[in-house]
Formats: sequence, C-alpha cells, structure tokens
Amino acid sequence: MTSALLSLTLALGLATGQFAPQQAASDPLAPPLEARVQTLGKHLRCAVCQGLSVADSPSSMARAQLDKVRELVAEGKSDAEVMDYFVARYGEWVLLEPRAEGFNWFVWLGPIALVAGGLVLILKQLKREPAVAAATEPSPEVPVTPAPAPATEDVDPYLAAVRRELER
Amino acid sequence: MKRWQYTLGFVAVCAALLFVLFKGFGRDPHEVPFMLKGKPAPAFTLRALDTGERVSLEELKGRPVVLNFWASWCGPCQQEHPVLEWGAREFGSQAVFLGVVFEDTEDNAREFLSRMGASFPQLVDPRSRMAVDYGVAGVPETYFIDPNGIIHGKHVGPIDPQTLTTRLRQLTAQATAAPAPESP
Repeated sequence: MTSALLSLTLALGLATGQFAPQQAASDPLAPPLEARVQTLGKHLRCAVCQGLSVADSPSSMARAQLDKVRELVAEGKSDAEVMDYFVARYGEWVLLEPRAEGFNWFVWLGPIALVAGGLVLILKQLKREPAVAAATEPSPEVPVTPAPAPATEDVDPYLAAVRRELER
Repeated sequence: MKRWQYTLGFVAVCAALLFVLFKGFGRDPHEVPFMLKGKPAPAFTLRALDTGERVSLEELKGRPVVLNFWASWCGPCQQEHPVLEWGAREFGSQAVFLGVVFEDTEDNAREFLSRMGASFPQLVDPRSRMAVDYGVAGVPETYFIDPNGIIHGKHVGPIDPQTLTTRLRQLTAQATAAPAPESP
C-alpha cells in the first residue's frame, strides 16, 4: 500500500515536472586539459550532494560546477587558482581532500599515529607474554596453591593452571 | 604499576574521539558554508526572461539589490514566491528585486511566472555560471547586496515576510547611514 502510494506520488511528481531538466554540459576541452578538468572535479565537493565529487555527481549543480572548472581551465588558470576560486565561495568544505596545513595535519597524521600506537602496544604485549609465562610456570618459591584444595584435584595439571590464573 | 598510564591514554583517545564527534554532529551536514559575506558581489550581465534586455549589476550600483535564485521544479520556491511578490510590491521603491532562474527551461519558468505572478524582473542564467559565481548551493536562495555592491548575506531556503523585512531594513539603514558613491 505504502509503496503503491509512494510510486504514485513520484509518478505524479514526474508528470507535473517536479524535477530539474537536464542540461547538456559544456563541450569537453582538448584531451590533456579535459584530463585536468576531471582530476580537479574529483577533488571538489558537489554543493547539493552528500559527499560526492563534482565529477561523479549527475546533479545539475555538479554539472554547473564542472562547467565552471572547465571555463577556468580554458582561461589558462592553474590548478591552485581553480581550487581557490571554489574555496573563496564554499570554504574549505568544498575540498574533498583537506589541505595539509595547520589543524588539518591532525587529519592526515592522526590515523598513522593511531596505527603506530597500536603496533607499539602489540609489540609490548608480545614481549611481555613469554616473560610472564616463564615467571609463573616454575614458581617453586611462591606457594601458588594454598592448602584447602583437595589432593585429588591437585593432580589435574589443567585445573591447577586455572587456579593459578585465577589467583594472579 | 603502569596501568594508570594506559587508562589515561585510553581516556585521552576517547576524549579526542568525543571532541571530533561533537564537532561533526554539532553542524548540519546539509549546510554549505558561505564565504562571500562582506565581499564584493561578483559582476554579472544577464538577459531578462521576458523583455530580453541585458541587466548588469554594475548598472544597479547605488541601490540595494535582492537577488533570488529559484526554479519551477523546486517545491519550496512555489511557497516562497508569494512572499517575494509581496516584498517587491512593498519595498520595490527602496530596493531592486531580481529573480534568477536556476537550472530550468525558459518555458517552464514562464509558465511558473504566469501562474504565480511576476512583479519583478527575472534573469536567465545559462549554464548556471552566475549561480556558481555566487556560491549557490541549491534553490531557493536569496542574496542581499548593499548599494556599494557588497554582499550583505544570503538566506537559504524559502524566505518568510519577517526575515525579508528585517534584512531589507538592515540594507536600507546602511544605505542611508553611508550614502553610496554617485553612480555615473
């Protein structure tokens, strides 16, 4: 029922023209320039999408933004100038890859630092493990199993190991 | 024991994570930053939808400008249009009202205007060049430009009469406080 209503509403929306008519994009430039346009487009966030680049989005706004990139590239603007044009309008938000400067270094180096920290922890743990095992297993001087345990259970080495683990 | 160091480290990592999450959830993900506030409005020369004559921002200097980006396919624009019609009638003597058709066919736009009323000039923006120049992030959006051609701010989404009045008051108050240089 719900799906029928939904599709009916959508169909009605289409019939009454509740959609942005697709307009053709501007003509692609010469191959080397067009490759630059597409690379730049991949790094710019589309203004109306959720986390999609200008080059990947089919929306009309993204098309308009990519047209602007093409226009700026055709005018002979450098990559940095094209990026600056968009940053001047939409802020750093428009860059899908944050610039490596200031607080942004945190974003770039944070994951590396986390992985390094994790590795250090794992290495430490690995180094400690044999030492701990060596320290607990012989332990003749420390009375590990106190008296109240019945003698029959003491025979079972597995149970003794569990006891020792519990008392540690 | 070194245990408290680990606890401290863990707490620090958690605090950093919470901070990042708080920052992330603190802002609306749909909100697009707008950086042109207080900056000179990008120049434009566009064709009017009905008369075909050229309208440029340069000619309008010395008067406050209200720029509205809209499209016939946008639902909120239909809600908003009567407010702008009212605004253009009420404040038309103090400010220039202009509409810019965003990503729409001219026929659709004309049909919309004949249905909803057209008391202020509408401009055609081929390939949305002007829209990108102005940092538009969807329709409807209303820009307020002061007599010196500086963008005073923009309103995202359908505008209500109260906001329109307040914004226009600010614009005109500024215009009377600091008279714009005489345009030649």
